[in-house]
Amino acid sequence: MGDLHAIRQFLASEGILMSFHGPFRHGILEELGRALRKHLESESTRKPDTTDVFSVYIEAAQNVANYANRHNGGDPAGARFQQGVVVIGRQGDHHIVQCGNFILPADGPALLARLDHLSGLDAAALKTLFKERIRADVEPGAPGAGLGLIRMARIASRPLGYAIVPGEDGLDFFSLTVIL
Amino acid sequence: MVNLTLHATASSPQVQADEKTGILVLSGESYPENSFDFYRPILSWVADFLERDRRSLTVEVRLTYLNTSSIKCMMDLLDAMEDAHQAGREVKLNWYYDQENDRALDLAEEFKEDLTLPFTIVPVPSEG
Repeated sequence: MGDLHAIRQFLASEGILMSFHGPFRHGILEELGRALRKHLESESTRKPDTTDVFSVYIEAAQNVANYANRHNGGDPAGARFQQGVVVIGRQGDHHIVQCGNFILPADGPALLARLDHLSGLDAAALKTLFKERIRADVEPGAPGAGLGLIRMARIASRPLGYAIVPGEDGLDFFSLTVIL
Repeated sequence: MVNLTLHATASSPQVQADEKTGILVLSGESYPENSFDFYRPILSWVADFLERDRRSLTVEVRLTYLNTSSIKCMMDLLDAMEDAHQAGREVKLNWYYDQENDRALDLAEEFKEDLTLPFTIVPVPSEG
């Protein structure tokens, strides 16, 4: 382990309010969410802003948990998929939520294509797409509606930041940055 | 036909569906681990109620937060109500939101935009 004082200095200098690295299980995400809200309330964030930060956190984290659940079926890398990282910070007037997880390299191109598509849409187009997808059929067995990224793009004050880099054990690492 | 009662958890709302009065109340948080599994019995209850007789249905939404898959399930619920309304049934939706939280208002208004059923948006004073 590194020097704790150095870690603290890094967290403080980056404006990090909360960070978590570990299994993205539902019960843990609930507890982290509760802590995040309390933390935001204590720094007297306006209610709509607290809702926005919480929304981005929940959508990003549940995407990771859902992805891990889909890959749990006998895959030796199943546990690895559940190990995500989420960091919530503040820089000036902006809250920033970053979330990352391991993915199968085969899943990368489709994910990047979706994000590239979203980054080209303005607020009106994102709203239209969100409304279309709300009423679209969900594939059987899907845990989510595929709406999370669209909601995050609507909340964000800048285009979503994203990257896929080579990870470990033949997996890639996906990271998402949302500036509110 | 039976009543439906679900107790609230940290991430799922309390649900109270009363067959006698035709009132369904959802209150609390809504970001369950699997929204589709959570909302399935609620959607079934509403479908059964609307099929069974001609009495009016009132839905009261008192949700502080909905994740996107809950929003999708809510849309399914409201579309079922809208269909009933178009078919001449008496249905009513009362949507309560924290008056200090305009994000919650935005969500209610986006739902309302696409519906013609009686849909009342009610501001509620913040709790502390």
